[in-house]
Amino acid sequence: MESNVTHRELELQLDAYVDGELEPEDARDLETHLQECADCARRHEARVALSAAIREQIPALHAPDALRGRVRATLRNVAGGSASRPVLPPIAGRWLALAASLAVVAVGSWRLALSRAGEDALAGQVLASHVRSLMPGHLTDVVSSDQHTVKPWFNGRLDFSPPVYDFAGRGFPLIGGRLDYVGGRPVAALVYGRRQHLVNVFLWPATRESLSDPSPVATRQGYHLLRWTTPEYAYWVVSDLGVAELHDFAQLVQQADSAATIPAAARALP
Amino acid sequence: MEPSELERFEAIVLPHLDAAYTLARYLTRNDHDAQDIVQDAYLRALKYFGGFRGGGADARDGRAWLLAIVRNTAYTWRRRHRADALATEFDEEQHSDAVADHHPAAALERDGARESLHQALDRLPPEFREVIVLRELEGLSYKEIGDVTGVPIGTVMSRLSRARRRLQEALSAGEKWRVT
Repeated sequence: MESNVTHRELELQLDAYVDGELEPEDARDLETHLQECADCARRHEARVALSAAIREQIPALHAPDALRGRVRATLRNVAGGSASRPVLPPIAGRWLALAASLAVVAVGSWRLALSRAGEDALAGQVLASHVRSLMPGHLTDVVSSDQHTVKPWFNGRLDFSPPVYDFAGRGFPLIGGRLDYVGGRPVAALVYGRRQHLVNVFLWPATRESLSDPSPVATRQGYHLLRWTTPEYAYWVVSDLGVAELHDFAQLVQQADSAATIPAAARALP
Repeated sequence: MEPSELERFEAIVLPHLDAAYTLARYLTRNDHDAQDIVQDAYLRALKYFGGFRGGGADARDGRAWLLAIVRNTAYTWRRRHRADALATEFDEEQHSDAVADHHPAAALERDGARESLHQALDRLPPEFREVIVLRELEGLSYKEIGDVTGVPIGTVMSRLSRARRRLQEALSAGEKWRVT
């Protein structure tokens, strides 16, 4: 051992030696030094004794069985996307209440089967908007069951005029509309009722997405999400309604849309 | 996620639940918080599992990878709840094992005039506490500890050495007490 090695360096070396992390050559040098230097030999013994004391007094712990069960259940629930209403573990309730709950809903517990990252992110935002809309005072900016009141309300607030229908006759009365912000742009949110349930419809002008029929995107926290795309608009609907009823609703909107666009298509014909 | 993917995740990551809980428990010094953190960490791990697989890692790597997520979750949690923690700091029932932080004299008196190694560990800053847990309790290599804590190996060495010196002082102080 070099005589100019400082005590600090020596202490680091001693720790690395005790941990078996010293290069073999350095280890041999240190062993030689330990035989010659009583001070360092004492320090070495003290370190070995400390490690033994730590292992004796500070145990590695076993995860409580309850935690083990909860983690397993949560993983199955999140990854498997079981059809049943997901059960939020009780411990997560406190978490959600304490933390920014919407962020946790969107980030922490998504059904991860979503294949495209973009869709995943959008679904998170749509769900967060839906949950926020259910908080007092956030549901509607314009309250009316009259589509001819709700539709003009968006004029000057959006760069498009969203189609608004009332399905009161089919059991989905229009409740109102509001401005929302999803996918980095202002969007129209239309609110419909179904018995005591609420349905949020988000729509914005379709970009380069291909046409698609209503298809389930995800089921989380007891909410179902469907999305589809028309030639003009990208639609997302979210509700705590059952999937079948939500699907019926999506078809109502889709039929109303295609009925409304037929004249335009006809006009385009020669 | 495919069922087989979940099985892979469970096979690689779930066996390290004890290690995850141990780290979270010693970082938070609180069972309830540790359980919340571990649960959240597993959700995050599942979310990022695709990126982890890319590394072609074996089960041993799975442990360091998971512990890094547990650690980050715990630190995020700590920042988020710092205001909360300050408000309830002196709630004996909730934070009885953290009281020694603020009343060392009272702690000494209560425990028969000797501070235990356990209490000495609890009083270390989290950066020191975690290297002790990862090295002494979990047996991670310096390289793995560096991966978990996101610092160079030289920093791992110096933190470990300083942490041990502090614990050693506590231990020998305890011995002095016993002698008198």
